Amino acid sequence: MGAVSTSTIAPDVANLQRIALKIFLDDESLLEPGDVIPVFHRWIQTQAVDGLLIDVADYSHMPTGPCVVLVAHEAHYVLDRAGGRLGLQYARRQPLDGPLSHRLATLGRLLLRAGRLLETDTSLPGPVRFRGNEIECVANDRLLAPNRAETLTAFRPALDAFLATLSAGAEWTLTQETDPRARFGLLAQTQAAATLDTVAERLG
Amino acid sequence: MTWKEALGNSVPADLAREIDTYESQLALKGQGKIDDKVFAETRLRRGAYGQRYDNGQRNDGTGVKMLPFPSNGRTKGPDTVWDAPGMQRIKLPFGGLTAAQMDTLADLSEEYSDGVCHITTRQDVQLHYVHIDDTPSLMRRLAAAGITTREACGNSVRNVTACPIAGVCRDESFDVTPHAEASMRFLLGHPDVQDFGRKFKIAFSGCRQHACGLVIMHDFGAIAVTREEDGVEQRGFEVYVGGGLGAVPHQARPFEPFMTEDEILPTLQAIARVFARLGEKRNRARARIKFLVAQLGLDEFRRLVREERAALAHDDRWTAYLDGLPAYGEQPLKTGHPLDDESGSPTFKAWARTNVYRQRQPGYAVATVSLPLGDLSGWQFRRLADVARRFVGDTVRTTVEQNIVLRWVRESDLPALHGELESIGLARPGAGSIADITACPGTDTCKLGIASSRGLAAELERRLGEQIETLDEAVKQLRIKISGCFNSCGQHHICDLGFYGVSRHVGGHIVPHFQVVLGGKWVDNAAAYGLAIGAVPAKNIPEVVRRITDRFVHDRQGAETFYDFTKRVGKRALRETLKDLTTVPPHDVRPDFYRDWGDPREFGIGDMGVGECAGEVVSLTEFDLVGAETQVFEAQLQLEADDFAHADALAYGAMLQAAKGLIKTEFIDISADPNQIVTEFRSRFFDTQLFFDKYAGGKFAQYLFRRHARGERPADRDTARQLIEEAQLFLEATHACQARLASQPAVPPTGNPPAVAGRA
Repeated sequence: MGAVSTSTIAPDVANLQRIALKIFLDDESLLEPGDVIPVFHRWIQTQAVDGLLIDVADYSHMPTGPCVVLVAHEAHYVLDRAGGRLGLQYARRQPLDGPLSHRLATLGRLLLRAGRLLETDTSLPGPVRFRGNEIECVANDRLLAPNRAETLTAFRPALDAFLATLSAGAEWTLTQETDPRARFGLLAQTQAAATLDTVAERLG
Repeated sequence: MTWKEALGNSVPADLAREIDTYESQLALKGQGKIDDKVFAETRLRRGAYGQRYDNGQRNDGTGVKMLPFPSNGRTKGPDTVWDAPGMQRIKLPFGGLTAAQMDTLADLSEEYSDGVCHITTRQDVQLHYVHIDDTPSLMRRLAAAGITTREACGNSVRNVTACPIAGVCRDESFDVTPHAEASMRFLLGHPDVQDFGRKFKIAFSGCRQHACGLVIMHDFGAIAVTREEDGVEQRGFEVYVGGGLGAVPHQARPFEPFMTEDEILPTLQAIARVFARLGEKRNRARARIKFLVAQLGLDEFRRLVREERAALAHDDRWTAYLDGLPAYGEQPLKTGHPLDDESGSPTFKAWARTNVYRQRQPGYAVATVSLPLGDLSGWQFRRLADVARRFVGDTVRTTVEQNIVLRWVRESDLPALHGELESIGLARPGAGSIADITACPGTDTCKLGIASSRGLAAELERRLGEQIETLDEAVKQLRIKISGCFNSCGQHHICDLGFYGVSRHVGGHIVPHFQVVLGGKWVDNAAAYGLAIGAVPAKNIPEVVRRITDRFVHDRQGAETFYDFTKRVGKRALRETLKDLTTVPPHDVRPDFYRDWGDPREFGIGDMGVGECAGEVVSLTEFDLVGAETQVFEAQLQLEADDFAHADALAYGAMLQAAKGLIKTEFIDISADPNQIVTEFRSRFFDTQLFFDKYAGGKFAQYLFRRHARGERPADRDTARQLIEEAQLFLEATHACQARLASQPAVPPTGNPPAVAGRA
């Protein structure tokens, strides 16, 4: 008995809700994961970010994967080291209204807002800067979005619209996760440099 | 499309039916048609556990705040909000895992949890922050991979554990894996295990001398033994019953020196029936089988079990698995081949020294994947499954030390295996060393946690990991185990240096502490349990480890073990070594002492406000509590000196003094007369429920009442030891009660007016 393949199931990205977006740190050496723990606790105290904020989980002892998780009912805010790259991820767990493109834009706004809060947090030892020209999108649902070419085809229109807004029309290159067992994931990169502030303004 | 539709016939029919029923129960609960308590036990028996803050309240460091979950009053148990995240425990009998199952666990951790799989001290896997609405899909996906969560929690037979190196161990009598598996299959969902007052834990060990099976701390433990009968080797088990850790640990008693293989399952069934019939049901605190064995006496318990066994109707399943035993065994993926001693980099050699065990089968080894705090990410688990496919196939097991072992590694593959593990961040050396610490979830996610066991473990692992190459060899071998509270999920009783979380009220603040537990024994199947020698502020625990290990290196005689060292030097001397570390610096000098490891929040202070008058009276209480702590410690020393009567009297005296201290917060003129103390304590703190623990209710008070009612009957080793454990718990409950009282708004006391002064 083994893991069940979903290779025969058609993707259904229109109903996809569990989506995670991640932005990457420009200079990882300026942030120790543990530095973020008090910041996340403070966010809970001051309700600094959207959602019912519950607790902070510390996984900074792990060499890869989530480092520090701000656990919320609607989504997790994660200082994430998956793929060996440190960044901030917003991982949605509860449904959002609207079509996929609208939902992606909402997730993007929530993520960028949290990213900007980290960038402007004076309690952190070094200046934290996120790259405005790189974003990762993961569909956290192997049933509705298996990691296959058909999912990419179905997902592209909404994603392209979202990315075009982020970069003011500049082109993006997409790299898809190759392991078919992994979640459907895309790394989007553009040559057009931008600060997080700029990207956030474009998203509105 | 749903997972139920997608998986279709991939889920075995029996499991599919059970999960369908469970899903229906979720729907009925939503309609208010199932009682909270009934539903709670229902989900627990499916492994769906509660988690910290699921009552909708959390101290954010500035006070206790409501968490307004959008549940509209819907609950999943008493005081448990529906939408609050929970923990899913996943049972892995004897820790066995296939590569495909690892893939599934990886997927589930990413989609339903926080991307992390946690290996527990009972060879289970736990996922945290799981929404209960996701649990049916999660269970179906597990079932399709051959895993059930049935009876992972709740009052039934929990995961059956066994040595992770069973079948490849150089010292075992024989491979106990098939017996562990058969026990699990036979008892899973069996009607005779559905009516217990508490859980029931089973372990199998292949030998007496090692620790792997931890038989002595189990409700039912079996050690593989052989004997010769008419020139033929016969296999059987040395069977123990009535062990358990928890708040009041008991060592298992020898039930039968040689039980033939074919008697294991019927005897387990007979024990289950006796436990279900005679075990305590109303008082959870005394409902484990250890209390029944103690109450009946071992001989009477044995007689009842044998009587029950004789009356059982024959069941073919008792012995069906035995026919397959001669052919039982794992098939190695590759032909064995020895490792050239010169092979590998220095990093590989350092890893191999601690993480590789040479199997009894020539050319093969077991490689331990040492997991920090038992955690690995979903991505790592999937990659580890690939590593398993490449090197060993489906021969992976979890361990009670929260690690994973890959069995049947061809020795000559070890350098390549190490390289693969390095590439996925799983080549941490030091498995089974002092830097490989066991810790329960503690305050991170457990509702009962008092202090941060994982925070402390992470800090100690970091410090000790940095020093590991320079530590004395004798120190490297020591084991540290940490629990977040006295319930001992971190197994703090059965190691060299044990710690469990407590709190102390200091100058209007609550300070995280850990009790230091010495005198435990990991080897010989957990042959000895340690006892607490004193509470130390959490922030001083790394220094406790340094001082005690330094003293061990300095004062060790020859090849003396740490256990023998602590016995020879004595707890009094070791406690003296730590004396200055028990002091808590003032808040304005060292505010970090008032925060726990890995947590920047002010520790449990909530909206505490302490009046001056209360502070004055509390200081008298503190005086009594210190005196009580001293008496408990003295009781331990008398126990070690085999003066059981004196130990018993001191433990009793400690409870009386602690109770007296608490009474002084309301009635300062309390006398030293035990009758008056117990009467006043009962009316002021028990009848009013002021002393009640949120989860344990009045059980700690009952320890005092029971001992007081017992009068002057003689004590033996077991009763004295138990009373010491109970006195320690009574003291902790007194500290907690005192802290609760101090945190309440100042109001005049109810009941009898104070004779001289009271809490204003």
